[in-house]
Amino acid sequence: MDALTGWWDDFFWGSLVVVQVFVIALIMTVLFGLIGAAAKLSKSRAAKSIANGYTIVFRGTPEILVLLLFYFGSAVTLTAIAQVFDPEIKFVDLPPFWAGSLAIALIVGSYATETFRGAFLGVDPGQIEAARALGVSNLQTFIFVRIPAMWRLALPPFGNHMLSLIKDTALIAIIGLEETLFVAEQAIGYTAKPFTMYILVGVIYLGFSTIITLSVMVLEKYANRHLEIAR
Amino acid sequence: MSFDFALIGDSIPKILMGIGLTFQLLVLSAVLGLALAIVLLLMRISGRWYLAAPTMVYIYIFRGTPILVQIFIIYYGLPQLEFVRDSIFWPILREAFGCAILALTLNTGAYVSEILRGGVLGVDRGLKEAGAALGLSATHRFIYITSPIAIRLALPAYSNDVISLMKSTALASTITLLDMMGIARTIVAETYAPYEIFISVMVIYLIITWIIQRSFGWMEKRMSRHVRSEA
Repeated sequence: MDALTGWWDDFFWGSLVVVQVFVIALIMTVLFGLIGAAAKLSKSRAAKSIANGYTIVFRGTPEILVLLLFYFGSAVTLTAIAQVFDPEIKFVDLPPFWAGSLAIALIVGSYATETFRGAFLGVDPGQIEAARALGVSNLQTFIFVRIPAMWRLALPPFGNHMLSLIKDTALIAIIGLEETLFVAEQAIGYTAKPFTMYILVGVIYLGFSTIITLSVMVLEKYANRHLEIAR
Repeated sequence: MSFDFALIGDSIPKILMGIGLTFQLLVLSAVLGLALAIVLLLMRISGRWYLAAPTMVYIYIFRGTPILVQIFIIYYGLPQLEFVRDSIFWPILREAFGCAILALTLNTGAYVSEILRGGVLGVDRGLKEAGAALGLSATHRFIYITSPIAIRLALPAYSNDVISLMKSTALASTITLLDMMGIARTIVAETYAPYEIFISVMVIYLIITWIIQRSFGWMEKRMSRHVRSEA
């Protein structure tokens, strides 16, 4: 434990980076998931096949591969574009924070697409018909009827997606994001105590996972509060 | 910037040299992981708290931390501990391959045991009661009644886990192993052509995913042939 003296603040800032990536990626995941689900449920054949291609590719390839493709791919592209304007420029990259967040959001978003699609299909059609019979507009039906009914169904699997998301943030250390795993590597360089440092990283992630699991439990209780038996 | 097709042609045979290692990692850790999962499952449903409690803690830890951190703890972390270096397991833990197998096995074992538990819990109670009424012992009931049905119920979720295990094998490239991902990363470091190389290896991984999916789909169909209606 002595080896950790002086490193606590670095691990704290590293954890903060994990939280930042998680929040940004979570917003993007929900967005990609909703767009993907909407495309899969739409009548347009083109939209359907794009969405199918998206879920097949991102659910079937290793996360690290997507991440490296995004990071190095964007670097090659951005460098090429920059050199058109100024041939002196040697290297431009997307910051690891954004390349990483985007990559893991696209991966988990492909799983969320399937979850949201299933949840939208699970909404009782009678509720939608009832809204229509009351003269509620399509948009209002979507916001006030379909979304509230759907998120109750989507919540348990979406909790698992959030756990995947927080665990995937560790991968972004590979492309140089200063999150906890990256901090551990630096600390090991000074202290030569890899076991201690990596265990601490594990404990930090276990803490995050626990917080997410508990939050999802509370949210589920809140979402299904109308189904509770009155006492 | 251009897309170099000749480079793809040169690289694919090199990348495919790593497919053997990818399969070794996948098959070995899938088999060992399944064995571990069955042991964990039996402990968990034994009804004895001193067996069930450690299993729950184990599953909680291994599902709550990133697999990358687990790999780093085993490969970089364990050699810090003297009793590990003195133990008979050192010849295995000294090698990156042994560490990768160990990490993947421990990780997938935790997930699969939960999947199997879901299958066991899904078995209709009436069937077990019928077995008891016929005078079958608890062991016989588990082997002849619960297991076949539980396996069938768990199979779809299990196939997803085999796919995520296959994706996790790519992380072995972070501890110096030259599986397909490791070779691809080496080539990218030499040629700096991320699009060509990473997209090629992506296609190979997608084909493997497709084969796994197809095989399990066939198995599912075969195992439920008695419930399929005559067409």
